[in-house]
Amino acid sequence: MELLKKPMRARELIAMIFMLIGIKGGDTTPSLFADEAQNALWIAPIVSFVVILPPFITLMYLLKKYQTRNLAELLHHLLGTKLGTIIGIFLFVGAFISMAADMRNIVEEINYLYFPNSPTIIIYLIFIVICLFVANKGLESIGSLAWAVLPVIVLTIISVMFVDFQATVWQRIFPILGGGASIVIRDGFSLSSVFLEFFLLTIAYQAFHDTKQFRIGMYTGSILSVLLIVLFYMIYTMVFDYNTVDNIAYLYQESTEIVPLGHFFTNISTFFMVGWLLSNFLRFTIFLYIICWLYGALFQIKRFEGLLMPISFLAMILSMIPPNFITNEMIVRKTSFHWISPIYLCFPFLLLAASLWRERRKL
Amino acid sequence: MKKIIVILFLIFLPALLGGCFDQKELEEQAFVVSIGVDKTDTRGVFRFSFQIANPEVGSSATGTSTKEPAQAVISVLGSDFLTATNAANATVAKEITLNQARVVIISEKLARSKEFIHLMQSAPSTVDLKLNAQLVVSKENAETFIRNNKPRLESRPHKYYQYMLDRAKETGIIPDAPLVRFFQITEGDADLFIAPYATTIRDDETEIGEEDHYKAGEIPVKGESQTQFMGSAVFREGQMISTLTGEENRFCLMFDSTLAQKDILISFNDPLMKEYQVAGRLDINNVKVKVDYKKEKQTTINVFVDFNINIHAIPSTVDYIQSLEKQRILKNSIEKQIKNRGERFINKTQEKFKAEPFYWSLHIRHKFLDIKQYEKADWMNKIYPNAQVRLHFNLEGLEFGKMLRETDIEEVRD
Repeated sequence: MELLKKPMRARELIAMIFMLIGIKGGDTTPSLFADEAQNALWIAPIVSFVVILPPFITLMYLLKKYQTRNLAELLHHLLGTKLGTIIGIFLFVGAFISMAADMRNIVEEINYLYFPNSPTIIIYLIFIVICLFVANKGLESIGSLAWAVLPVIVLTIISVMFVDFQATVWQRIFPILGGGASIVIRDGFSLSSVFLEFFLLTIAYQAFHDTKQFRIGMYTGSILSVLLIVLFYMIYTMVFDYNTVDNIAYLYQESTEIVPLGHFFTNISTFFMVGWLLSNFLRFTIFLYIICWLYGALFQIKRFEGLLMPISFLAMILSMIPPNFITNEMIVRKTSFHWISPIYLCFPFLLLAASLWRERRKL
Repeated sequence: MKKIIVILFLIFLPALLGGCFDQKELEEQAFVVSIGVDKTDTRGVFRFSFQIANPEVGSSATGTSTKEPAQAVISVLGSDFLTATNAANATVAKEITLNQARVVIISEKLARSKEFIHLMQSAPSTVDLKLNAQLVVSKENAETFIRNNKPRLESRPHKYYQYMLDRAKETGIIPDAPLVRFFQITEGDADLFIAPYATTIRDDETEIGEEDHYKAGEIPVKGESQTQFMGSAVFREGQMISTLTGEENRFCLMFDSTLAQKDILISFNDPLMKEYQVAGRLDINNVKVKVDYKKEKQTTINVFVDFNINIHAIPSTVDYIQSLEKQRILKNSIEKQIKNRGERFINKTQEKFKAEPFYWSLHIRHKFLDIKQYEKADWMNKIYPNAQVRLHFNLEGLEFGKMLRETDIEEVRD
């Protein structure tokens, strides 16, 4: 959809990236990294970020070069309609699976920790209905909403860090390389699609006031998010030790649970649920909106808001297939990341090659 | 259009009821404040005792005081915390919640058995049970401990445990032992874990000695409250192996840089009049542990402890306050005495336990690049028992409280 007025600026984008990626510091992603890297789980995201940086910068360069395009149009323009659509479908499927798996994790987390007696499906339905409701309002509403709730979330993050900090022992980050240098680097590579949302967000290249705002927002937002993730993972390592950190699934909640604030406030973990829940609603709203946009742009569907409902419910039904959370996290999510990562790491270079080839032909 | 909106609104309204799946009324819950676990003759089955607090007792609404007792103790058999909670619900009308449980009491018999670690494995997956609850080892059966434990001055049981543990921790005679620390240290497999040691049964045959050389049960207290928290139980690889006295426990707190350093009350021999003691409050300013790791040779561990002492009582009335010379003697004597006691304890850990309860494995970690090398070097079995430990105590400040000089007793007697 072409947006006529473009009131969104860099700050909305920063807020959105923060919700979409920075929040991965508080979900089940750290346990994915901790599985083998153990106490080096905070190095692995740095490796991942370094790994995705070259393809990401390439993509940003291409978008800048072909000014009027977004991700889908760029694919079509450079690779032709057929090949472009095929690559686009790959990207979409990867993002779709990743969203479905993440959504299941979050719902299981809410269910297990806060509402143990409720049926999962009810929580899932309510979750999706809220996401759909917000997503239907369009990108501008989402962006300003993200910016509006950001203070609440930042406050939550700061207080969680403050609380967790009392239980940290800094020597626990040693031995610095954890499970071993090769494992950390391998995990960093294979799980680099943890950051696949960076690539997806380029679909909104034209939606901002001007493209310069988009670039500023994108770079600032991504650096802030990665910093947040790394800081959180470091805290998890320092709170739990290397042998315990890979046993715990919900590190964010457990870490706040073990710290009492004096005599009176002994169970404070629920205070941090509000910000966490808000940010997760927004995260999936943004995610849902963006992959629908990608799908719509690939197949020239102008009013892609109509896709929100079918895609979200399809994601819900598919994500309910794994029998339990552990299978979902350790098998579905991990394997899908292993398959998705190479696609996302390679396609910008494919585009670059196509672009270079085009230029040469012109000459 | 308006009608459609109203209808849609009404359809989605029940969605708000989704939150009611997990509604829990305060009245419908029975809050457990302490859980006791005992060994039974059958493997894998434990006796769980739940101490349930009556929230009405001691609340500010004094007008409607009830005749119900402040607490109830129920004990049931079960294989883990969750099934036991369900079993206990057979006799209690309200839903039993472990949310507020502050203490988990384990009998010494269970702690010394191999089954203990299997029981503990079920703790982290019990959502209700918070991992910051304290682990306490009782000399007798945990059930007996809970039933005997009748505090006189604090009728609300949840407050009682909190105050009791906090007080004892402040004086340094018991360690801080939340459940999460048990897992960190046991799974880390390099150090010893220590938990508070307590009893309600008094051992009558103990002699009178210095006030911190006791273990729980040995303190010759007279009074109605039988409960004693003193010293600690030592766990090696998830199994209790020994106990420490209050004094030994103080050294654990002193040498462990991960525990909050609180002021510790401590007494020494008076260097100028040997038959008297000097008592004071010891503040630890700084603890540094330097491990000089050598792969093939003996490792040296240097421990630097900087502390202040605030002298409270000089029963011998030697005038330390005004004589700098005498202060110097006192300072040297205190440093020497602490060092001697510390070295005796270190020897005990190296020879008897063959591992240390000070969490010192943290200080060697940065010498290794990855976990494989670190685990291969084997701090617990290879490095520490053979290491040479050097203690360096440095008394930085000596204070004498609010008195300007001691009363001259000779003059009074005149």
